Amino acid sequence: MATAHHDAHDDHHGISHVASAKVLLGTGGSLLFLTVVTVLATKVDFGPSINLALAMFIAAVKATLVVLFFMHLKYDKVFHTVIFVGAILAGALFVGFTLMDTGQYQETNIWDVDRPPPAPIGPRPISG
Amino acid sequence: MSEHPHAGHGDDHGHGHHGSPFIQHHYDDAKHQFEAGKLGIWIFLAQEVLFFSALFVAYILYRHHHPEIYAYAHKYLDTKMGAINTGVLIVSSLTAAWAVRAAQLRQQKLLIACLATTIACAFGFLVIKYFEYTHKIHEQILFGKRFDPCVSSGGTPLLTKSNECPGTKSTVQWDFATSSPKEGSCFGDVAIDLDPKKPNVQADCKVFELTGSTTFQDGKEVFVEKGRREITARCPDPVFGRDLGLPPGTDPSKTSYPCWKTNHQPHVCKGGWYFTWYCEGDSCAAPFGGEGPFATQQACVDARRGKEGSGTVTECAPSHASGILVEYGDHDVREGVRITAECKAPAAPVAEGDPLEDKAQALALGQASLATEAPLTKAERKNALYAGPPPEHTNMFFTIYFAMTGLHGIHVLIGVFIFIWLLIRAIKGHFTPDYFGPIDFAALYWHIVDLIWIFLFPLLYLIH
Repeated sequence: MATAHHDAHDDHHGISHVASAKVLLGTGGSLLFLTVVTVLATKVDFGPSINLALAMFIAAVKATLVVLFFMHLKYDKVFHTVIFVGAILAGALFVGFTLMDTGQYQETNIWDVDRPPPAPIGPRPISG
Repeated sequence: MSEHPHAGHGDDHGHGHHGSPFIQHHYDDAKHQFEAGKLGIWIFLAQEVLFFSALFVAYILYRHHHPEIYAYAHKYLDTKMGAINTGVLIVSSLTAAWAVRAAQLRQQKLLIACLATTIACAFGFLVIKYFEYTHKIHEQILFGKRFDPCVSSGGTPLLTKSNECPGTKSTVQWDFATSSPKEGSCFGDVAIDLDPKKPNVQADCKVFELTGSTTFQDGKEVFVEKGRREITARCPDPVFGRDLGLPPGTDPSKTSYPCWKTNHQPHVCKGGWYFTWYCEGDSCAAPFGGEGPFATQQACVDARRGKEGSGTVTECAPSHASGILVEYGDHDVREGVRITAECKAPAAPVAEGDPLEDKAQALALGQASLATEAPLTKAERKNALYAGPPPEHTNMFFTIYFAMTGLHGIHVLIGVFIFIWLLIRAIKGHFTPDYFGPIDFAALYWHIVDLIWIFLFPLLYLIH
């Protein structure tokens, strides 16, 4: 039976930590609240990059809440954190390496009819 | 708490465990088994992160190169549906986490309720996704080559390649004499000629598409207008390119002048002297049939300007009529759409002279429409963007969208099956405080699915 004892303390006498009702409800409520915040934040124009950064920051906070409390990582073995954070770092490395040379392709990748890239440098080809 | 039938019997493995019969004999005890499973699920979750990261790389790379596509295409997605689905997944994550707690505390009924709620939420998520997907299939907002949208991201009708959109209108010719649309098409008997030099032809028009509904009042059909947008084509001349008629220093993106255009938005034919002909190499053809035996490209150009330099212009000139051609996808009349035009008086006829003067006249004709427009506000610019056709390669957004949401959806579907299996086992009373690993591991999987969606929602639906 759920008792005040269980709710009041981090319970470690079982085979695993029991999340308290307060923590679960608080996490769920915060996640729903942050969802509303991120939707509302999109309606305000802070400029595209700040809007994106804000949305990603809120998503990161939500993800952290899920991982720490719903997934019990706060009370879990450190090794599980190492595995999980390691995977995220590997993903970040993946993104970073792929984006490394993107600056070198823009002229050819983006073709805007109204703003064509500058003519190549060199003498005009002789016709006839 | 005594509703659990199996608790306290583990002797059938011959190890003398106390507790669940589901503790395998090769583990020391319940905690040992639980921790082995937990390590396994965390390694699996790490793999899931890497798995999805490939798609996030595709997303980030493409967004980096083509921000305009994301700025346009996200408008196709329904933020409300995405937000509801986010909420649904969060609630299901909460109930999944609570199911673990209930199993740990031997709260059998609460455990069953939590698992059932999780399944219900997962179903709700899939149902909303089903509605989103079917809408996109209906409007041909799909991936790769199947991206051939019937509407712009702002919801205005588009001319599609496949002509398969439901209820689109083919052709409307605007009759300036009666100020009403003509039936029939450009390819029929009545060709279009808006040569401004001819009498009674008005070439400087703004064309509007009205949306609304038809009702009957006193036995008469009345069109109630609900909205209008200008659909006058704004494009460079297809034959002359960017040089035609543009005064030096004019910004092409801020001018509109007569042209005809064949991309995925309603055709608006306006103006006519180069409408009538087009050139390919040495031959000159009328776009609606008829070939002109012109020797040189210059002769074609002259012909388009109404000159008779080659002496054969009249042979292939179309019959004279006035109108505006607006084309949508197929040949059914689109409900609730009307075309109207506002035209200015025709330019005063100018005596034909040398080609330079001729060009000057063309400039004079376009002057009214060439005038630089007042700068649009940010919101107006956005709405104009959303009303127009998608930028090139917008299909890539939906290729990425369907890959990401599809893979995520498959995960949700798998989660449904896992939780149904857990629900059955919970009803059978398999789970006890010393044996709740399957619930904990499934909940961890479910949280990762929620976590992915927490990022997908702003990345796909909330682009500013």
